[in-house]
Amino acid sequence: MLREVKERLFLCGIAVAAVLTVMPLFHIIYTVAVEGIPVLMKAGLNFLTDTLAPPGEGLGGIGPAIFGTLVITTLASLLGLPVAVITGVYAAEYPESIIGRLTRTLLTIMMEFPTILVGLFVMQILVIPMGSYSAIAGALALALVMMPYVAVYTEEAFRNIPFTYREAAFSLGLSRFKVVFRVLAGMARKGMVTGMLIGMAKVAGETAPLLFTAGGSNRIYFAGLDKPVGAVPLLIYNLIQQPYENYHEIAWGASLVLLLIFLAVFLPLRLSLKEVRL
Amino acid sequence: MAIETVNLTIYYCQKCVIRNVNLKIPENVVFAIMGPSGCGKSTLLRSFNRLLELNPNARVEGDVRLYGRSVYDMNPIEVRRKIGMVFQLPNPFPHMSIFDNVALGLKLNGLVKSKKELREIVEWALKKAVLWDEVKDRLHDPASALSGGQQQRLCIARALAMKPQVLLMDEPTANLDPIATEKIENLIYELKKEYTIVIVTHSPAQAARVSDYVAFLYLGELVEVGKTEKIFEKPENELTERYLTGRIG
Repeated sequence: MLREVKERLFLCGIAVAAVLTVMPLFHIIYTVAVEGIPVLMKAGLNFLTDTLAPPGEGLGGIGPAIFGTLVITTLASLLGLPVAVITGVYAAEYPESIIGRLTRTLLTIMMEFPTILVGLFVMQILVIPMGSYSAIAGALALALVMMPYVAVYTEEAFRNIPFTYREAAFSLGLSRFKVVFRVLAGMARKGMVTGMLIGMAKVAGETAPLLFTAGGSNRIYFAGLDKPVGAVPLLIYNLIQQPYENYHEIAWGASLVLLLIFLAVFLPLRLSLKEVRL
Repeated sequence: MAIETVNLTIYYCQKCVIRNVNLKIPENVVFAIMGPSGCGKSTLLRSFNRLLELNPNARVEGDVRLYGRSVYDMNPIEVRRKIGMVFQLPNPFPHMSIFDNVALGLKLNGLVKSKKELREIVEWALKKAVLWDEVKDRLHDPASALSGGQQQRLCIARALAMKPQVLLMDEPTANLDPIATEKIENLIYELKKEYTIVIVTHSPAQAARVSDYVAFLYLGELVEVGKTEKIFEKPENELTERYLTGRIG
């Protein structure tokens, strides 16, 4: 009898802890939806394309920020993905070598590295010499944040391929390059794509690496890769600090847009991932 | 001699797993290497096509000669094109079609001049592996849709498409049911007319069924080698007799 009570208490305890853990997530989604939906309803579709309204007057839109997020995420992917994939393949192919082991350790450190320091670093090497915030600086900062995720996922994907397929490919008299890129890459494709999408979803929502690099732009869509550019998270960060009521509303609307972008990339990804594992 | 080993010794890390093996494998025969699990059969086989080099801890001493030429003086890629291999687990590339599995080696090695030639060789290889009739209408289905026995014959076709001189088989029926096993064994019997086949098996019964010559390997050492009938009827070594009668294994 006592044992049953204990068992039930234990189960209840775990359930409560689990609910407490995930509650903040639902609360965030709930709050963003409740505050953001009225703003989007009021501003309409123009919210996605218009430029920012002046302080205190109306809503306008967050077009330049959305466009900027698109530009720097794309650019960051172009810079980061090829290097990250090659790094991941290297770490998987030469796990015993000193460089291979070092790469694996460094990648895990990089994954947890404070992203604001990445921003500071890029400011030092790009923003200060160029004398201006720029899209390219923002993209480089995001690329550095994205790379370890992509590299680690790529490495895992390659290392999860059973050894027998590697043997089979080599037994056909293929060079190492062809074995890796023409045969095994096809089997690692799912893991690699997952890593790429997770990396992209992550950096699309990053603020800290952009603070000292992208600069922000609310009224001009795009002036060139060497000019400042907007980004949705950066816009939210800036608007929240302003004293104007309409800016706070826009920030909520932008938050909802950011959440939707994130969920649109992440949810199908998570679901498809489960499908692969089973 | 198709394959000849000279004082072949193999170490994993510091541990000696193959000790001083001297084998002569004649042309167009089925040569079985039998022995209990862990005696080094697979390791020995992988030293023939230098696949052992995928394991950075393996070290080979002595020599393996393919038609008199040391494989360790040749480029490993060239060695592996001349020596095909079939593995214990049927391992066609699961993300590729039946056709692509057979065509892969030819395509990536640039061994065919035209699509037509590629199709002809793929058909030829699938016919050689007695799989053509079962798959000719669904060449572009994924290889993973085939049964285990069909997958193993697909792997044989994949190896044959490269037109190797020697075919290595590492316990090719260990994961198959008796009917699929029989098909593979009949196939081996057919293939030996044109190829030299070295098959590794832990089953003396299989060695007796398929092979012309047999070598008995025990704890990394070659105990006895000779014509299959002779070894099974009159083993010279007591260890061989105990293995064949099931007292060790």
